[in-house]
Formats: sequence, structure tokens, C-alpha cells
Amino acid sequence: MLCRVADSLFWMSRYIERAENTVRLVDVTLQTLLESEHSSEDISYRHWSPILSSLGDQELFESHCSETSSLEVTHFLTFSRENPSSVFSCVASARENARMIRDQISAEMWEVINRLYLYLKNTDAERVCREVNFDFFHRIKEFSILFQGITESTFTHQLGYEFIICGRQLERADKTCRILDAKRFMGTVSQVEDDALDTAQWAALLRGCSAFEAYHRTYVSDVSGDHVRELLMLSRNFPRSVLFCIDRLQKAMHAISKCPLTHFSNEAERRVGLLISRLNYATPSELADDKAHQLIEDIEDDLADIAQELSARYMFAEIVDPAAELVES
Amino acid sequence: MDIAYDQGTFFDEAFESDGTPRPHYQSLISKFAELSPEEFQQKREAIDLAFLQQGITFTVYGEAQSTERIFPFDLMPRVIPKSEWDHLSTGLKQRLETLNLFLHDIYHDRKIVKDKVFPEEILASAKHYRPEIAGLDVPKDIYIHICGTDLIRDDQGAYLVLEDNGRCPSGVSYMLENRQAMKRAFPRFFPNAGVRPVTDYPSHLLAALRHTAPEGVDEPTVAVLTPGVYNSAYFEHCFLARQMGVEIVEGRDLVVENDDRVYMRTTEGLKRVDVLYRRIDDDFIDPEVFRKDSVLGVPGLVRAYRKGNLGLANALGTGVADDKVAYCFVPDMIKYYLDQDPILPNVQSWLPYRPDDLKYVLENMENLVVKAANEAGGYGMIIGPVASKAEIAEFREKVKADPRGFIAQTPISLSRHPTYADGAFDGRHIDLRPYIISGKQTHIIPGGLTRVALRKGSLVVNSSQGGGSKDTWVLYD
Repeated sequence: MLCRVADSLFWMSRYIERAENTVRLVDVTLQTLLESEHSSEDISYRHWSPILSSLGDQELFESHCSETSSLEVTHFLTFSRENPSSVFSCVASARENARMIRDQISAEMWEVINRLYLYLKNTDAERVCREVNFDFFHRIKEFSILFQGITESTFTHQLGYEFIICGRQLERADKTCRILDAKRFMGTVSQVEDDALDTAQWAALLRGCSAFEAYHRTYVSDVSGDHVRELLMLSRNFPRSVLFCIDRLQKAMHAISKCPLTHFSNEAERRVGLLISRLNYATPSELADDKAHQLIEDIEDDLADIAQELSARYMFAEIVDPAAELVES
Repeated sequence: MDIAYDQGTFFDEAFESDGTPRPHYQSLISKFAELSPEEFQQKREAIDLAFLQQGITFTVYGEAQSTERIFPFDLMPRVIPKSEWDHLSTGLKQRLETLNLFLHDIYHDRKIVKDKVFPEEILASAKHYRPEIAGLDVPKDIYIHICGTDLIRDDQGAYLVLEDNGRCPSGVSYMLENRQAMKRAFPRFFPNAGVRPVTDYPSHLLAALRHTAPEGVDEPTVAVLTPGVYNSAYFEHCFLARQMGVEIVEGRDLVVENDDRVYMRTTEGLKRVDVLYRRIDDDFIDPEVFRKDSVLGVPGLVRAYRKGNLGLANALGTGVADDKVAYCFVPDMIKYYLDQDPILPNVQSWLPYRPDDLKYVLENMENLVVKAANEAGGYGMIIGPVASKAEIAEFREKVKADPRGFIAQTPISLSRHPTYADGAFDGRHIDLRPYIISGKQTHIIPGGLTRVALRKGSLVVNSSQGGGSKDTWVLYD
């Protein structure tokens, strides 16, 4: 397979996953806002600010948008052309990548991405933001899941498929970390120590990861931070948990290199193996309130390094992730 | 749906001058007549949506944002009966065989120049002549593997050659997709219509590409070389690669190693490439030889080609035969190389590089069509009868400054075809681009791209200037 094709498959899949996760974050925040009693714009922005921080988008937002209203943030994260990780930008990038390799993917895969793009492009952005149209967010999620299903059932499960898995799992693991991290920022904005608020925030995070039901089947208790972290980081069964994603990532990487799981044939494989061990042997104390942040940050750094190594090994030289570039500058 | 309209003085493809349908259009017209306007509208919308959703689009440059558009598709197909097609295909074969002989000759012994049939000064000033391949023996002596020749019909219905596209003719994917769209929209038209299929184009193309592999390579690796996703014809490049089951590569995917062979970069290392169906112009194909600033091409490609390690389709340097001045000499070439009379005539032309013709052209420009010798896509031309005085004056100066750079032709009132436009059927001008493949044999796909000028009265059929297209039916009998 051409290096360029591997690169496009990886990024096509990664951008779709990124779009879906951003929608999840926006959706869940808007839902939370509806439940809160004091819905002044000032208070709503306090809800948004952690999301923006965890995505690394706060500076960009503040440099582009003068108003710090809920409506502005929704627009920025969903439709903004200036924000390279907005849902629209991600879908446009996914489509550009798909277009470059449309001879390599199934016609159905291309069509669903193209339809998603046309849907977003023809949506009345102002109206969606003003009316808080949940159907809209729901449809975007459905498109993403449809794309995964179509990929699963129309694309040969060979080399290219593994690159698609790599892109998706890397992005998903990273976003689960960021969603968890958002809680840390939430803690710092609320002035009153309030258990009810705390629980509501954790519940919102669970919903953002489609993990609410999974949580309640696993833990017969109220929502607690330690349990949420355990589920979203260390579960071996829940498909959005960090360990689950990285495990799937490792399998895909070894399917590409045909190297047995007990060995490694390149730096990316070595790093992913180390990371899995760390999570496999993590103790509850590492997930405690005061330590979890360090672990999450380490995982995020590892994931960035793994992506870099994968790209150097199989794709074109340097990873060019416009979102990351903008944050750094 | 009512199809009849005022035919004016034009040759109409579907109707005799008395308004009765021509025999080969009768059943089609009666089927269209049975459609209700609502059904017709539904089918139109369904086809447009399908094109858009499949991304069968081209890019329009020069607007604030380059935009993607679908190539407007007209539902009423163009029909060509067998007798006409047989005439066309022998004429096109004759023409392409001649062009290949001509290219071989001018890059070797130049007999045609020595015998004073083709003027030396025209060759010396040919913009697309490539000294890099002079004396080079290209595989199987084929230069133009894929040719798209533009044909028009005059007011008597006679077919004329308007130009030969011997570099990277595009549009063949529309020929194939238009047929698919028609089959989806009108499934019950087809079983008894006696339409010859066009679907085997990709397999003929692949066979011709494999035929051009370097000596000694039995199982050649073929790839389509594209300028990339921002090229207006990118959809077509992908489409053909997919249909042939070969890789589509960009310049940055390829590398020429010290052994002067071409390789593509894969996740498993370098892999040899033997034949490139290149959709990049000569100018951009190798920055070591042609434009130094090109990032689309592959450094060293010409080196590999000259060493005989690579087949290229079309060959380098075919643009000489594309030159509109050279076009004017094709009838002479046919006599010279094949000792035959041309089956398909050219449009009557004047060559301003000849002083007498220059004088005539300058004096009669308002009655002529004047075209730049090396432009395409409907650019760099003027249609005298509809141009303003200022435009004509400007063009006179251009022709005076560079007589070699232009030709002039009699305006042809292109044939018209029933076309749905502005809410009703009406006559619109059309042309025809059949695709001719030169491999082991010369093969012409029974069909082609019929382009239609959708604006009333317009003679310009190019997609960039308000043109659309039609499915083209060649009948078995």
C-alpha cells in the first residue's frame, strides 16, 4: 500500500472520530446547561470553559470570538471554519482525505462521508446554535457510527482497514482522556463545594462517552469519580475506555507489521506495549483524585508520540495535524 | 412531455427538416412523449442528486472560492445509427494511425519535413515539441495511446473534425457515468433499444497500457499518475484507476532510484512501476527536465523513460500533433503516410503564418472563428460573428503580433439536439468526443461524450463555460 494512502486512511478515520467526539462534548454540555437553574450567559460560559481547555482550544476561541456566550462556543466548536478542530473542519478534512483515496475505499464509505459533509454544509448554523437543535447533534453521531458500520461491512479487512482502526482508536483514547480531564477544569470554576453538582458533572461526562448505562451495569452505586475514572480508563470491556482503545490499537499495529504481540518491530509498537503494561498494572491509588491528572497527561503524551512514530514508520514523514499546530503556536 | 420545437435553419439530430422524427430517434421520442412533466422532473432531480452524492463533480477555478459543481446532465440521449458510426470509426482510426506515424517521423528522420509536406518553420516553432525524446524509440512506436477527437456536424449534417486531443484528453468518466445514470433513470428504455455498451472502456485502456510496458516485463505494474485531488479531473483519474484495478499515484509517491527505474513508496518499502498512465502535462512531469518549479512531477522520470525502463501513455511530446496549426496539415499527412483520402474532413481553415491567409483573416475576422494554436477548453478564441468591434480589434492585434500562434476557421453552425433547458425542450448545439485507444489494435469505444451548449444560441460546449453533457447511444443497427 502506498504510504500516502495509509496516511489518508488513518486521517480520514481519525477526523471522523474527532468530529463525533466534539459533537459528544457539545451535546452533553448543552444538556447539562438545560438542567442548571441559573442559565445566565456568564454561568454557561463557566460550563464551556473546561471543555475548551481540555480540547486545547480556549486561546483560539478567545482570539476569534469577542463574546463568551454559550451560542458563540457552540458555533465555534461545531461550525467555525477558523477552528481546525470544529466539527465542520474535521468533516471537511475527513472528506478531503477520502477524496484522495476514493479509488481505495468502498463507494458506500465515500458516499456517507460526502453526505455528512453536504449535510453540515447545508445546515443553517445560526439556527442550530440558537435553537439548540439536539436532532442535529444526534444525526452527526449517527453519520459517524454509520461510517464505522459501513467500513466494517464493505471494506476488506486487510492492511488498509488496520490503518483505519489505528486512526480511530488513537483519537478515541485521546478524547476519552480529554473528556476526563475536563472534569478537573470544572472543579476549579465552581466556587461552592457541592456534592450534587459534582455528581451531576460526572454523570454528564459518562453520557458524553455513551457510558452512563455501562456504568450502572458495572457499579451498583451512585456516580463517583473514582469509579468513573476506573471505567473510562481501565475497563477491558467498555469500547470507549482508554485501555480498550489502546489494546485495539496495539492489535491493529501488529497486524500491520505482522510482528507477534510479544515482541516489537518498531518504536511505535514498543511505546504502545509499555503504555498497555502501565494501564494493565495500574493501582487504584494511581487513579485517585490527586494523581489521576498526571496519569492522564502521560497517556496523552504517549499517544502523541505513538502517532508520530506510526507516521514516521508507514506514512509521510511528519504528522501534520492542523489542530495541534495551531495550539502550539 | 412535448418535444417539438422550431428547428430554424440548423441541422437537427433528431428531426427531419419537416419536423418528423428521424428513424433512429422514433422510439426514443415516443417514450419521452409518454413521460409526464412530473415524472421527468423527478428523474432529473434524482440524477443530479446521485451525481452530487457520488461526488461526480469538477472544480471551477477563478471564482472567489473554487467550487465543486456537477457537470450538468441532459436526459435526452444522443443517438448515432450504425452507418454513421462505421463511417466515423474508420475515419478516426485513419486519423490516429496517421498522427502516430507523424509523431514517430518528426522525432526520427523527419521525412515529412524533408519532402516539404509539413513546413519546417512550423515544427521549429511548435510549442510542445520535446527535443528530449528526439531519436528515442518509444515502446511499440505508439505515441498517442488515448485520443479524444472532437467532432461537429455542419448545417448539412456532415461530420467534421474540430480538433484532436492527443495529450491528456479527459471526459471519458462522464461517458461511463452518464450511461449508468441513464440506466438507473430509464431502466425500461434499454433492453430493446439496441444500444452498444461502453462499459469495457477500462479493460481496453488497461490492455493498451500493458502493451506499452518496457521490453522484457511480462507482468507490468501499471499506475495512474495524477496531479492530485485539486485537479479538476481528479474524479476521473480515481474512477479509471478503480475500474482498472491499478494504483493511483501522485508525484510525491514516486521516486527514481540510481538504477534509473521508477518506484512507488509503499508501507512495505519501494515497489517497481513499469507503466504510467499520466494525466499530468509534459511541462510538469519532471522538474529535472521541464519546469523546475513543478512539485507535481517526479525528478528523474524522463531519465527512466529514456533508458527504456518506463512506459508512458501518452508519450512525451505528443502536443506537437495537438497544435492547431499542425491540425490543419492532418489531411496532407493522411495522404503522405497512408496514401489515402481523408475520410473525415477538417473544418475549412486559414493559417495566418502564411502572408495571404493573414491578410484574409485580418480583413474578414468578423466572419471567422479565430483560435490560439495551443489553448483548449474554449479559451483563447473569438467567434467573429458574435464578437464586439473592440474584441475583434484586440484579436487583430494579437494575430498580427504572432501569426504562427493562431488559426482561423469558417464558423460552423453546429448541429442541434433536443435538450431540456429553461423549462422546455428546445434545440441546443452539440459536439461529440469519441475516445480512441491505440494498443495492439486501434479500438474506438462505441459512444463518446456528447457535450451540449445549454445557453440558447451558444456554440461553446465546454463545461467551464456553461456546457452540459448527454449520454451517447451508438446503435447495433
